[in-house]
Amino acid sequence: MLWDAIGFYGMALFLIFFALKTITVPNPIHAALYLVLTMIGLAGMFFNLGAHFIAGVQMIVYAGAVMVLFVMVLMLFDLKAEIRSFSRGLLSGALKIMSSALLVGFALGSAGSSVAILDSSDTAPTQIDVTRQLGVLLYTKYLFAFEVLGILLLVVAVGVVAVSRMKGGTHAQH
Amino acid sequence: MGTDAFEFTINFVKMVAIFLMMVQIVPLLVWVERRGSAYIQNRFGPNRVGPLGLTQLLADAVKFLTKEEFVPGRGYPFIYYAAPVVAMIPATLALAAIPLSAPFHVEPFEMFGRNWGPYTFMFQGYDFGIGIVFVLGVSSLAAYALLLAGYGSNNKYSMYGALRASAQTISYELAMGLSIVGVILLFNTFSFTDIVNAQSAPLNFMWFGKKVVVEWLPNWGLIYQPLGAVILFAAMFAEANRLPFDLPEAEGELVAGYHTEYAGFKFNMFFIGEYGHMFVASALMVIFYFGGYTIYPWLTPETAPQIMGKLLGVTSATWMSFWGSILLHLVLMAKVVAFLWIFIQVRWTLPRFRYDQLMDLGWRSMLPWALFNTVITAIVVLLMRYQWGA
Repeated sequence: MLWDAIGFYGMALFLIFFALKTITVPNPIHAALYLVLTMIGLAGMFFNLGAHFIAGVQMIVYAGAVMVLFVMVLMLFDLKAEIRSFSRGLLSGALKIMSSALLVGFALGSAGSSVAILDSSDTAPTQIDVTRQLGVLLYTKYLFAFEVLGILLLVVAVGVVAVSRMKGGTHAQH
Repeated sequence: MGTDAFEFTINFVKMVAIFLMMVQIVPLLVWVERRGSAYIQNRFGPNRVGPLGLTQLLADAVKFLTKEEFVPGRGYPFIYYAAPVVAMIPATLALAAIPLSAPFHVEPFEMFGRNWGPYTFMFQGYDFGIGIVFVLGVSSLAAYALLLAGYGSNNKYSMYGALRASAQTISYELAMGLSIVGVILLFNTFSFTDIVNAQSAPLNFMWFGKKVVVEWLPNWGLIYQPLGAVILFAAMFAEANRLPFDLPEAEGELVAGYHTEYAGFKFNMFFIGEYGHMFVASALMVIFYFGGYTIYPWLTPETAPQIMGKLLGVTSATWMSFWGSILLHLVLMAKVVAFLWIFIQVRWTLPRFRYDQLMDLGWRSMLPWALFNTVITAIVVLLMRYQWGA
Protein backbone atom coordinates (compact mmCIF):
# COMPACT_ATOMS: atom_id res chain seq x y z
CA MET A 1 0.00 0.00 0.00
CA LEU A 2 2.73 2.43 1.04
CA TRP A 3 4.73 1.80 -2.12
CA ASP A 4 1.60 2.28 -4.22
CA ALA A 5 1.00 5.61 -2.55
CA ILE A 6 4.62 6.71 -3.03
CA GLY A 7 4.44 5.69 -6.70
CA PHE A 8 1.16 7.50 -7.20
CA TYR A 9 2.13 10.79 -5.57
CA GLY A 10 5.64 10.74 -7.01
CA MET A 11 4.26 10.27 -10.47
CA ALA A 12 1.58 12.88 -9.85
CA LEU A 13 4.24 15.42 -8.92
CA PHE A 14 6.18 14.63 -12.09
CA LEU A 15 3.00 14.92 -14.14
CA ILE A 16 2.16 18.33 -12.69
CA PHE A 17 5.71 19.50 -13.29
CA PHE A 18 5.69 18.36 -16.94
CA ALA A 19 2.22 19.82 -17.53
CA LEU A 20 3.30 23.15 -16.05
CA LYS A 21 6.41 23.13 -18.22
CA THR A 22 4.22 22.41 -21.25
CA ILE A 23 2.35 25.68 -20.84
CA THR A 24 5.26 27.83 -19.63
CA VAL A 25 8.21 27.07 -21.94
CA PRO A 26 8.34 29.59 -24.81
CA ASN A 27 9.66 27.21 -27.49
CA PRO A 28 6.65 25.35 -29.02
CA ILE A 29 8.69 22.22 -29.81
CA HIS A 30 9.94 21.99 -26.24
CA ALA A 31 6.36 22.47 -25.06
CA ALA A 32 5.26 19.57 -27.28
CA LEU A 33 8.08 17.39 -25.92
CA TYR A 34 6.97 18.15 -22.36
CA LEU A 35 3.45 17.21 -23.41
CA VAL A 36 4.85 13.87 -24.62
CA LEU A 37 6.37 13.31 -21.18
CA THR A 38 3.02 14.22 -19.64
CA MET A 39 1.27 11.65 -21.83
CA ILE A 40 3.78 8.92 -20.96
CA GLY A 41 3.48 9.83 -17.28
CA LEU A 42 -0.30 9.59 -17.59
CA ALA A 43 0.07 6.12 -19.10
CA GLY A 44 2.27 5.19 -16.14
CA MET A 45 -0.40 6.57 -13.82
CA PHE A 46 -3.11 4.43 -15.44
CA PHE A 47 -0.81 1.43 -15.17
CA ASN A 48 -0.16 2.15 -11.51
CA LEU A 49 -3.92 2.31 -10.90
CA GLY A 50 -4.42 -1.11 -12.52
CA ALA A 51 -5.92 0.01 -15.84
CA HIS A 52 -3.31 -1.72 -17.98
CA PHE A 53 -5.31 -1.64 -21.19
CA ILE A 54 -6.03 2.08 -20.95
CA ALA A 55 -2.35 2.65 -20.18
CA GLY A 56 -1.36 0.75 -23.31
CA VAL A 57 -3.88 2.58 -25.48
CA GLN A 58 -2.75 5.89 -24.00
CA MET A 59 0.80 5.03 -25.09
CA ILE A 60 -0.20 3.87 -28.58
CA VAL A 61 -2.67 6.63 -29.43
CA TYR A 62 -1.47 9.73 -27.60
CA ALA A 63 2.22 9.26 -26.88
CA GLY A 64 2.94 7.16 -29.96
CA ALA A 65 0.79 8.62 -32.72
CA VAL A 66 -0.83 11.97 -31.90
CA MET A 67 2.20 13.51 -30.23
CA VAL A 68 4.62 12.25 -32.88
CA LEU A 69 2.47 14.06 -35.43
CA PHE A 70 2.37 17.16 -33.23
CA VAL A 71 6.13 17.31 -32.85
CA MET A 72 6.67 16.57 -36.53
CA VAL A 73 4.24 19.25 -37.71
CA LEU A 74 5.72 21.79 -35.29
CA MET A 75 9.15 21.08 -36.74
CA LEU A 76 7.83 21.59 -40.27
CA PHE A 77 5.93 24.82 -39.68
CA ASP A 78 7.06 28.38 -39.56
CA LEU A 79 5.42 29.31 -36.29
CA LYS A 80 6.25 33.01 -36.05
CA ALA A 81 2.78 34.18 -37.10
CA GLU A 82 1.09 31.82 -34.66
CA ILE A 83 3.36 32.85 -31.80
CA ARG A 84 2.62 36.53 -32.52
CA SER A 85 -1.11 36.09 -32.68
CA PHE A 86 -1.39 33.93 -29.57
CA SER A 87 1.13 35.39 -27.16
CA ARG A 88 0.12 39.01 -26.69
CA GLY A 89 -2.98 41.12 -26.21
CA LEU A 90 -5.59 41.63 -23.54
CA LEU A 91 -8.28 39.82 -25.51
CA SER A 92 -6.31 36.62 -26.05
CA GLY A 93 -5.15 36.73 -22.44
CA ALA A 94 -8.73 37.00 -21.23
CA LEU A 95 -9.74 34.17 -23.60
CA LYS A 96 -6.97 31.98 -22.25
CA ILE A 97 -7.96 32.57 -18.63
CA MET A 98 -11.62 31.97 -19.46
CA SER A 99 -10.99 28.76 -21.33
CA SER A 100 -8.71 27.36 -18.66
CA ALA A 101 -11.27 28.25 -15.98
CA LEU A 102 -13.93 26.50 -18.07
CA LEU A 103 -11.74 23.42 -18.41
CA VAL A 104 -10.98 23.27 -14.69
CA GLY A 105 -14.70 23.66 -13.98
CA PHE A 106 -15.57 20.80 -16.33
CA ALA A 107 -12.88 18.57 -14.85
CA LEU A 108 -13.92 19.23 -11.27
CA GLY A 109 -17.61 18.90 -12.11
CA SER A 110 -17.19 15.57 -13.87
CA ALA A 111 -14.92 14.26 -11.12
CA GLY A 112 -17.49 15.29 -8.53
CA SER A 113 -20.38 13.65 -10.33
CA SER A 114 -18.56 10.37 -10.99
CA VAL A 115 -17.52 9.46 -7.47
CA ALA A 116 -19.47 6.22 -7.85
CA ILE A 117 -16.76 4.94 -10.22
CA LEU A 118 -14.22 5.20 -7.43
CA ASP A 119 -16.05 2.65 -5.24
CA SER A 120 -13.99 -0.52 -5.31
CA SER A 121 -15.77 -3.70 -6.33
CA ASP A 122 -15.73 -6.85 -4.20
CA THR A 123 -13.82 -9.08 -6.60
CA ALA A 124 -10.57 -7.98 -8.20
CA PRO A 125 -11.12 -8.34 -11.96
CA THR A 126 -8.32 -9.59 -14.21
CA GLN A 127 -6.95 -7.40 -16.97
CA ILE A 128 -8.74 -9.42 -19.66
CA ASP A 129 -12.06 -8.90 -17.87
CA VAL A 130 -11.42 -5.16 -17.61
CA THR A 131 -10.67 -4.95 -21.32
CA ARG A 132 -13.77 -6.96 -22.21
CA GLN A 133 -16.01 -4.83 -19.97
CA LEU A 134 -14.58 -1.72 -21.55
CA GLY A 135 -15.34 -2.98 -25.04
CA VAL A 136 -18.87 -4.08 -24.14
CA LEU A 137 -19.66 -0.78 -22.42
CA LEU A 138 -18.28 1.19 -25.34
CA TYR A 139 -20.48 -0.63 -27.85
CA THR A 140 -23.68 -0.83 -25.77
CA LYS A 141 -24.23 1.78 -23.08
CA TYR A 142 -21.98 4.50 -24.51
CA LEU A 143 -22.53 3.70 -28.18
CA PHE A 144 -24.07 7.10 -28.93
CA ALA A 145 -21.25 9.08 -27.31
CA PHE A 146 -18.73 6.85 -29.06
CA GLU A 147 -20.26 7.42 -32.51
CA VAL A 148 -20.64 11.16 -31.90
CA LEU A 149 -16.95 11.35 -31.03
CA GLY A 150 -16.19 9.52 -34.27
CA ILE A 151 -18.20 12.07 -36.25
CA LEU A 152 -16.42 14.89 -34.42
CA LEU A 153 -13.06 13.48 -35.48
CA LEU A 154 -14.32 13.08 -39.05
CA VAL A 155 -15.43 16.73 -39.10
CA VAL A 156 -12.02 17.79 -37.83
CA ALA A 157 -10.30 15.72 -40.52
CA VAL A 158 -12.47 17.23 -43.27
CA GLY A 159 -11.80 20.69 -41.89
CA VAL A 160 -8.06 20.10 -41.89
CA VAL A 161 -8.17 18.98 -45.53
CA ALA A 162 -10.24 22.05 -46.45
CA VAL A 163 -7.84 24.43 -44.69
CA SER A 164 -4.76 22.79 -46.14
CA ARG A 165 -6.13 23.04 -49.70
CA MET A 166 -6.69 26.76 -49.28
CA LYS A 167 -3.94 28.77 -50.89
CA GLY A 168 -1.52 29.75 -48.16
CA GLY A 169 -3.05 27.38 -45.61
CA THR A 170 -3.56 28.89 -42.17
CA HIS A 171 -1.60 31.98 -43.24
CA ALA A 172 -4.03 32.78 -46.11
CA GLN A 173 -4.38 36.44 -47.00
CA HIS A 174 -7.94 37.47 -47.76
CA MET B 1 8.91 -8.62 -8.16
CA GLY B 2 8.47 -11.42 -5.68
CA THR B 3 7.35 -12.41 -2.24
CA ASP B 4 10.69 -13.50 -0.71
CA ALA B 5 14.42 -13.15 -1.20
CA PHE B 6 14.83 -16.12 -3.54
CA GLU B 7 12.08 -15.09 -5.93
CA PHE B 8 13.25 -11.50 -5.83
CA THR B 9 16.84 -12.46 -6.66
CA ILE B 10 15.86 -14.72 -9.56
CA ASN B 11 13.53 -12.10 -11.03
CA PHE B 12 16.20 -9.43 -10.74
CA VAL B 13 18.84 -11.62 -12.40
CA LYS B 14 16.32 -12.42 -15.13
CA MET B 15 15.67 -8.73 -15.86
CA VAL B 16 19.38 -7.99 -16.16
CA ALA B 17 19.96 -11.12 -18.26
CA ILE B 18 17.26 -10.16 -20.76
CA PHE B 19 18.69 -6.66 -21.14
CA LEU B 20 22.19 -8.05 -21.57
CA MET B 21 20.90 -10.58 -24.09
CA MET B 22 19.57 -7.77 -26.27
CA VAL B 23 22.77 -5.76 -25.97
CA GLN B 24 25.03 -8.76 -26.53
CA ILE B 25 23.22 -9.97 -29.60
CA VAL B 26 24.07 -6.71 -31.38
CA PRO B 27 27.81 -7.29 -31.96
CA LEU B 28 27.06 -10.82 -33.13
CA LEU B 29 24.43 -9.54 -35.52
CA VAL B 30 26.80 -6.89 -36.79
CA TRP B 31 29.34 -9.61 -37.49
CA VAL B 32 26.74 -11.78 -39.23
CA GLU B 33 25.55 -8.77 -41.19
CA ARG B 34 29.05 -7.86 -42.41
CA ARG B 35 30.13 -11.41 -43.15
CA GLY B 36 26.74 -12.20 -44.64
CA SER B 37 26.75 -9.16 -46.89
CA ALA B 38 30.24 -10.10 -48.02
CA TYR B 39 29.00 -13.62 -48.75
CA ILE B 40 26.02 -12.28 -50.72
CA GLN B 41 28.19 -9.86 -52.68
CA ASN B 42 31.00 -12.37 -53.24
CA ARG B 43 33.53 -10.54 -51.04
CA PHE B 44 35.52 -11.61 -47.97
CA GLY B 45 34.25 -9.19 -45.36
CA PRO B 46 36.11 -8.62 -42.08
CA ASN B 47 38.25 -11.76 -41.71
CA ARG B 48 41.57 -10.46 -40.36
CA VAL B 49 41.02 -9.90 -36.63
CA GLY B 50 40.82 -13.19 -34.79
CA PRO B 51 39.22 -16.44 -35.96
CA LEU B 52 36.68 -15.73 -38.77
CA GLY B 53 37.05 -12.04 -37.99
CA LEU B 54 35.08 -12.49 -34.77
CA THR B 55 37.26 -10.22 -32.63
CA GLN B 56 36.64 -7.42 -35.11
CA LEU B 57 33.70 -6.69 -32.79
CA LEU B 58 36.03 -5.99 -29.87
CA ALA B 59 38.11 -3.71 -32.04
CA ASP B 60 34.92 -1.90 -33.07
CA ALA B 61 33.88 -1.50 -29.45
CA VAL B 62 37.23 -0.02 -28.53
CA LYS B 63 36.96 2.34 -31.47
CA PHE B 64 33.46 3.42 -30.44
CA LEU B 65 34.56 4.07 -26.87
CA THR B 66 37.68 6.05 -27.69
CA LYS B 67 36.37 8.26 -30.48
CA GLU B 68 36.46 12.00 -30.03
CA GLU B 69 33.47 13.45 -28.23
CA PHE B 70 31.57 15.83 -30.47
CA VAL B 71 28.58 18.07 -29.82
CA PRO B 72 27.13 20.37 -32.49
CA GLY B 73 27.75 23.95 -31.42
CA ARG B 74 24.30 25.33 -32.13
CA GLY B 75 22.18 22.32 -31.25
CA TYR B 76 20.26 21.62 -28.07
CA PRO B 77 22.76 19.67 -25.94
CA PHE B 78 20.24 18.07 -23.59
CA ILE B 79 18.04 16.78 -26.42
CA TYR B 80 21.13 15.80 -28.40
CA TYR B 81 22.35 13.60 -25.55
CA ALA B 82 18.89 12.27 -24.72
CA ALA B 83 18.18 10.93 -28.21
CA PRO B 84 20.55 7.89 -28.19
CA VAL B 85 19.25 6.87 -24.76
CA VAL B 86 15.66 7.15 -25.94
CA ALA B 87 16.61 5.03 -28.96
CA MET B 88 17.41 2.06 -26.73
CA ILE B 89 14.36 2.24 -24.45
CA PRO B 90 11.54 0.95 -26.73
CA ALA B 91 13.32 -2.21 -27.86
CA THR B 92 14.49 -3.00 -24.32
CA LEU B 93 11.05 -2.55 -22.77
CA ALA B 94 9.34 -4.48 -25.55
CA LEU B 95 11.72 -7.41 -25.21
CA ALA B 96 11.09 -7.54 -21.44
CA ALA B 97 7.38 -8.24 -22.10
CA ILE B 98 7.90 -11.04 -24.63
CA PRO B 99 7.94 -14.61 -23.26
CA LEU B 100 11.17 -16.23 -24.42
CA SER B 101 10.28 -19.72 -23.23
CA ALA B 102 7.77 -21.69 -21.18
CA PRO B 103 7.66 -20.85 -17.47
CA PHE B 104 9.58 -23.25 -15.22
CA HIS B 105 8.45 -24.55 -11.87
CA VAL B 106 10.63 -24.85 -8.79
CA GLU B 107 9.48 -27.48 -6.32
CA PRO B 108 9.74 -26.73 -2.59
CA PHE B 109 13.33 -27.14 -1.33
CA GLU B 110 15.44 -26.44 1.75
CA MET B 111 18.28 -23.92 1.86
CA PHE B 112 19.95 -21.96 4.71
CA GLY B 113 17.85 -23.89 7.23
CA ARG B 114 14.42 -22.88 6.00
CA ASN B 115 11.93 -24.05 3.41
CA TRP B 116 11.46 -22.22 0.16
CA GLY B 117 9.03 -22.51 -2.68
CA PRO B 118 7.25 -23.67 -4.63
CA TYR B 119 7.74 -21.04 -7.30
CA THR B 120 6.86 -20.54 -10.95
CA PHE B 121 9.17 -18.29 -12.92
CA MET B 122 8.12 -16.81 -16.23
CA PHE B 123 10.86 -16.82 -18.85
CA GLN B 124 10.37 -13.11 -19.49
CA GLY B 125 11.09 -9.80 -17.81
CA TYR B 126 7.58 -9.10 -16.68
CA ASP B 127 4.28 -10.75 -17.53
CA PHE B 128 1.69 -8.19 -18.54
CA GLY B 129 -1.76 -9.67 -18.95
CA ILE B 130 -2.06 -7.55 -22.07
CA GLY B 131 1.45 -8.00 -23.47
CA ILE B 132 0.53 -7.15 -27.08
CA VAL B 133 -0.88 -3.74 -26.19
CA PHE B 134 2.18 -3.01 -24.07
CA VAL B 135 4.63 -3.97 -26.82
CA LEU B 136 2.75 -1.90 -29.40
CA GLY B 137 2.66 1.01 -26.96
CA VAL B 138 6.36 1.11 -26.17
CA SER B 139 7.50 0.44 -29.72
CA SER B 140 5.37 3.37 -30.91
CA LEU B 141 7.74 5.56 -28.89
CA ALA B 142 10.63 4.67 -31.20
CA ALA B 143 9.89 7.65 -33.45
CA TYR B 144 10.91 10.07 -30.69
CA ALA B 145 14.53 8.96 -30.72
CA LEU B 146 14.77 9.96 -34.39
CA LEU B 147 12.84 13.22 -33.90
CA LEU B 148 14.95 14.19 -30.89
CA ALA B 149 18.17 13.34 -32.72
CA GLY B 150 17.15 15.41 -35.75
CA TYR B 151 16.01 18.35 -33.67
CA GLY B 152 18.82 18.28 -31.14
CA SER B 153 21.53 18.24 -33.82
CA ASN B 154 20.12 21.40 -35.44
CA ASN B 155 21.33 20.29 -38.83
CA LYS B 156 19.24 20.33 -41.98
CA TYR B 157 20.13 16.80 -43.03
CA SER B 158 19.40 15.46 -39.56
CA MET B 159 16.10 17.30 -39.53
CA TYR B 160 14.99 15.96 -42.92
CA GLY B 161 15.97 12.47 -41.83
CA ALA B 162 13.98 12.85 -38.63
CA LEU B 163 10.89 14.16 -40.41
CA ARG B 164 11.01 11.38 -42.98
CA ALA B 165 11.50 8.84 -40.24
CA SER B 166 8.55 9.98 -38.17
CA ALA B 167 6.25 10.15 -41.20
CA GLN B 168 7.34 6.63 -42.12
CA THR B 169 6.90 5.20 -38.63
CA ILE B 170 3.41 6.67 -38.25
CA SER B 171 2.33 5.38 -41.66
CA TYR B 172 3.53 1.85 -41.10
CA GLU B 173 2.45 1.66 -37.48
CA LEU B 174 -1.17 1.68 -38.65
CA ALA B 175 -0.69 -1.30 -40.94
CA MET B 176 1.31 -3.07 -38.23
CA GLY B 177 -1.32 -2.57 -35.55
CA LEU B 178 -4.14 -3.64 -37.86
CA SER B 179 -2.35 -6.81 -38.96
CA ILE B 180 -1.94 -7.80 -35.31
CA VAL B 181 -5.69 -7.30 -34.72
CA GLY B 182 -6.30 -10.41 -36.86
CA VAL B 183 -4.17 -12.51 -34.51
CA ILE B 184 -5.87 -11.05 -31.44
CA LEU B 185 -9.30 -11.89 -32.88
CA LEU B 186 -8.19 -15.37 -33.85
CA PHE B 187 -6.70 -16.41 -30.52
CA ASN B 188 -9.10 -14.25 -28.52
CA THR B 189 -6.44 -12.92 -26.16
CA PHE B 190 -3.93 -10.11 -25.55
CA SER B 191 -1.41 -12.35 -23.84
CA PHE B 192 1.65 -13.73 -25.62
CA THR B 193 1.76 -16.83 -23.44
CA ASP B 194 -1.85 -17.71 -24.29
CA ILE B 195 -1.13 -17.25 -28.00
CA VAL B 196 1.87 -19.59 -27.85
CA ASN B 197 -0.06 -22.17 -25.84
CA ALA B 198 -2.90 -22.07 -28.37
CA GLN B 199 -0.40 -22.78 -31.13
CA SER B 200 1.10 -25.77 -29.33
CA ALA B 201 -1.78 -28.02 -30.41
CA PRO B 202 -2.98 -29.76 -33.58
CA LEU B 203 -4.70 -27.48 -36.10
CA ASN B 204 -8.19 -26.97 -34.76
CA PHE B 205 -10.89 -24.51 -35.69
CA MET B 206 -14.64 -24.11 -35.66
CA TRP B 207 -16.46 -24.79 -38.93
CA PHE B 208 -19.97 -23.37 -38.60
CA GLY B 209 -20.10 -24.29 -34.95
CA LYS B 210 -18.52 -27.75 -35.33
CA LYS B 211 -14.95 -28.39 -34.18
CA VAL B 212 -12.53 -29.58 -36.86
CA VAL B 213 -9.14 -31.03 -35.91
CA VAL B 214 -6.33 -31.73 -38.38
CA GLU B 215 -3.81 -33.91 -36.57
CA TRP B 216 -0.84 -33.56 -38.86
CA LEU B 217 -0.56 -29.75 -38.80
CA PRO B 218 0.40 -27.49 -35.90
CA ASN B 219 -2.09 -24.75 -34.95
CA TRP B 220 0.17 -21.95 -36.17
CA GLY B 221 -1.12 -18.45 -36.82
CA LEU B 222 0.46 -18.45 -40.28
CA ILE B 223 -2.12 -20.95 -41.52
CA TYR B 224 -5.00 -18.63 -40.61
CA GLN B 225 -3.34 -15.27 -41.21
CA PRO B 226 -0.90 -15.46 -44.14
CA LEU B 227 -1.77 -11.94 -45.29
CA GLY B 228 -1.42 -10.54 -41.78
CA ALA B 229 1.99 -12.21 -41.46
CA VAL B 230 3.27 -10.65 -44.69
CA ILE B 231 1.98 -7.19 -43.77
CA LEU B 232 3.39 -7.39 -40.24
CA PHE B 233 6.79 -8.49 -41.47
CA ALA B 234 6.96 -5.74 -44.10
CA ALA B 235 5.82 -3.12 -41.59
CA MET B 236 8.47 -4.33 -39.16
CA PHE B 237 11.15 -3.56 -41.73
CA ALA B 238 9.81 -0.01 -41.95
CA GLU B 239 9.61 0.31 -38.16
CA ALA B 240 13.22 -0.80 -37.74
CA ASN B 241 14.33 1.57 -40.54
CA ARG B 242 16.00 -1.24 -42.41
CA LEU B 243 16.49 -1.46 -46.13
CA PRO B 244 14.41 -1.25 -48.31
CA PHE B 245 12.75 1.24 -45.93
CA ASP B 246 15.84 3.06 -44.67
CA LEU B 247 14.94 6.43 -46.17
CA PRO B 248 15.52 8.29 -42.89
CA GLU B 249 19.23 7.62 -43.31
CA ALA B 250 19.53 7.44 -47.11
CA GLU B 251 23.23 8.22 -47.57
CA GLY B 252 22.87 9.39 -51.15
CA GLU B 253 20.43 12.12 -50.17
CA LEU B 254 20.84 12.92 -46.50
CA VAL B 255 24.50 12.17 -45.57
CA ALA B 256 23.40 9.83 -42.76
CA GLY B 257 19.99 11.22 -41.88
CA TYR B 258 19.13 11.75 -38.23
CA HIS B 259 22.45 10.43 -36.92
CA THR B 260 24.66 12.63 -39.10
CA GLU B 261 26.01 14.44 -36.02
CA TYR B 262 26.47 11.34 -33.89
CA ALA B 263 29.74 9.49 -33.54
CA GLY B 264 31.35 7.01 -31.20
CA PHE B 265 29.25 5.47 -28.49
CA LYS B 266 26.25 7.70 -29.11
CA PHE B 267 26.03 6.34 -32.65
CA ASN B 268 26.49 2.87 -31.25
CA MET B 269 23.40 3.29 -29.07
CA PHE B 270 21.29 4.09 -32.14
CA PHE B 271 22.76 0.97 -33.65
CA ILE B 272 21.81 -1.15 -30.63
CA GLY B 273 18.32 0.31 -30.84
CA GLU B 274 17.97 -0.68 -34.48
CA TYR B 275 19.18 -4.22 -33.97
CA GLY B 276 17.10 -4.52 -30.83
CA HIS B 277 14.10 -3.56 -32.92
CA MET B 278 14.96 -6.27 -35.43
CA PHE B 279 15.21 -8.78 -32.61
CA VAL B 280 11.84 -7.78 -31.15
CA ALA B 281 10.27 -7.83 -34.63
CA SER B 282 11.54 -11.35 -35.30
CA ALA B 283 10.37 -12.54 -31.89
CA LEU B 284 6.90 -11.09 -32.53
CA MET B 285 6.70 -12.79 -35.94
CA VAL B 286 7.68 -16.11 -34.38
CA ILE B 287 5.20 -15.78 -31.51
CA PHE B 288 2.24 -14.61 -33.59
CA TYR B 289 2.59 -16.83 -36.64
CA PHE B 290 5.20 -19.55 -36.14
CA GLY B 291 4.31 -21.26 -32.90
CA GLY B 292 6.56 -19.26 -30.57
CA TYR B 293 8.81 -21.49 -28.51
CA THR B 294 7.00 -24.69 -29.42
CA ILE B 295 7.15 -27.11 -32.34
CA TYR B 296 4.02 -29.23 -32.17
CA PRO B 297 3.99 -32.26 -31.83
CA TRP B 298 7.63 -32.78 -30.87
CA LEU B 299 8.57 -29.90 -28.62
CA THR B 300 5.82 -28.49 -26.42
CA PRO B 301 5.85 -27.22 -22.82
CA GLU B 302 4.62 -30.71 -21.83
CA THR B 303 7.19 -32.86 -23.67
CA ALA B 304 10.31 -30.68 -23.37
CA PRO B 305 11.07 -31.48 -19.67
CA GLN B 306 10.79 -35.23 -20.37
CA ILE B 307 13.11 -34.99 -23.37
CA MET B 308 15.72 -33.03 -21.45
CA GLY B 309 15.36 -35.34 -18.44
CA LYS B 310 16.18 -38.36 -20.60
CA LEU B 311 18.94 -36.54 -22.46
CA LEU B 312 20.77 -35.22 -19.39
CA GLY B 313 19.79 -38.00 -17.00
CA VAL B 314 18.25 -35.62 -14.43
CA THR B 315 15.25 -36.79 -12.47
CA SER B 316 14.41 -33.92 -10.12
CA ALA B 317 11.26 -32.13 -11.30
CA THR B 318 12.81 -28.69 -10.81
CA TRP B 319 15.81 -29.34 -13.01
CA MET B 320 13.76 -31.13 -15.67
CA SER B 321 11.44 -28.17 -15.83
CA PHE B 322 14.39 -25.77 -15.96
CA TRP B 323 16.22 -27.60 -18.74
CA GLY B 324 12.96 -28.02 -20.62
CA SER B 325 12.53 -24.24 -20.56
CA ILE B 326 16.09 -23.82 -21.82
CA LEU B 327 15.38 -26.22 -24.68
CA LEU B 328 12.23 -24.32 -25.65
CA HIS B 329 14.20 -21.09 -25.42
CA LEU B 330 16.68 -22.51 -27.92
CA VAL B 331 13.77 -23.42 -30.20
CA LEU B 332 12.53 -19.82 -30.07
CA MET B 333 16.04 -18.49 -30.69
CA ALA B 334 16.50 -20.79 -33.70
CA LYS B 335 13.32 -19.42 -35.27
CA VAL B 336 14.26 -15.84 -34.37
CA VAL B 337 17.70 -16.28 -35.91
CA ALA B 338 16.07 -17.51 -39.12
CA PHE B 339 14.05 -14.30 -39.29
CA LEU B 340 17.07 -12.16 -38.46
CA TRP B 341 18.84 -13.75 -41.38
CA ILE B 342 15.89 -12.81 -43.64
CA PHE B 343 16.30 -9.22 -42.41
CA ILE B 344 19.95 -9.30 -43.45
CA GLN B 345 19.35 -11.09 -46.73
CA VAL B 346 16.68 -8.56 -47.73
CA ARG B 347 18.91 -5.64 -46.81
CA TRP B 348 21.64 -6.80 -49.17
CA THR B 349 19.28 -7.87 -51.95
CA LEU B 350 16.66 -5.17 -52.48
CA PRO B 351 17.29 -1.55 -53.46
CA ARG B 352 15.81 1.34 -51.49
CA PHE B 353 12.33 2.68 -52.29
CA ARG B 354 11.74 6.21 -53.48
CA TYR B 355 9.94 8.31 -50.89
CA ASP B 356 6.67 8.54 -52.82
CA GLN B 357 6.76 4.77 -53.40
CA LEU B 358 7.22 4.27 -49.67
CA MET B 359 4.20 6.40 -48.78
CA ASP B 360 2.19 4.80 -51.58
CA LEU B 361 2.95 1.31 -50.34
CA GLY B 362 2.13 2.24 -46.76
CA TRP B 363 -1.13 4.08 -47.27
CA ARG B 364 -2.57 2.71 -50.52
CA SER B 365 -1.52 -0.94 -50.38
CA MET B 366 -0.67 -2.15 -46.91
CA LEU B 367 -3.24 -0.19 -44.91
CA PRO B 368 -6.24 -1.22 -47.09
CA TRP B 369 -5.05 -4.83 -47.17
CA ALA B 370 -4.58 -4.84 -43.40
CA LEU B 371 -8.08 -3.37 -42.96
CA PHE B 372 -9.47 -5.98 -45.34
CA ASN B 373 -7.70 -8.70 -43.39
CA THR B 374 -9.16 -7.41 -40.11
CA VAL B 375 -12.71 -7.19 -41.43
CA ILE B 376 -12.60 -10.62 -43.08
CA THR B 377 -11.08 -12.20 -39.97
CA ALA B 378 -13.76 -10.63 -37.79
CA ILE B 379 -16.59 -11.85 -40.06
CA VAL B 380 -15.18 -15.35 -40.39
CA VAL B 381 -14.48 -15.67 -36.66
CA LEU B 382 -18.02 -14.52 -35.89
CA LEU B 383 -19.64 -16.90 -38.43
CA MET B 384 -17.57 -19.92 -37.45
CA ARG B 385 -17.92 -19.53 -33.69
CA TYR B 386 -21.67 -18.83 -33.86
CA GLN B 387 -23.62 -21.77 -32.45
CA TRP B 388 -25.35 -22.90 -35.66
CA GLY B 389 -28.51 -24.87 -34.97
CA ALA B 390 -27.81 -25.00 -31.26
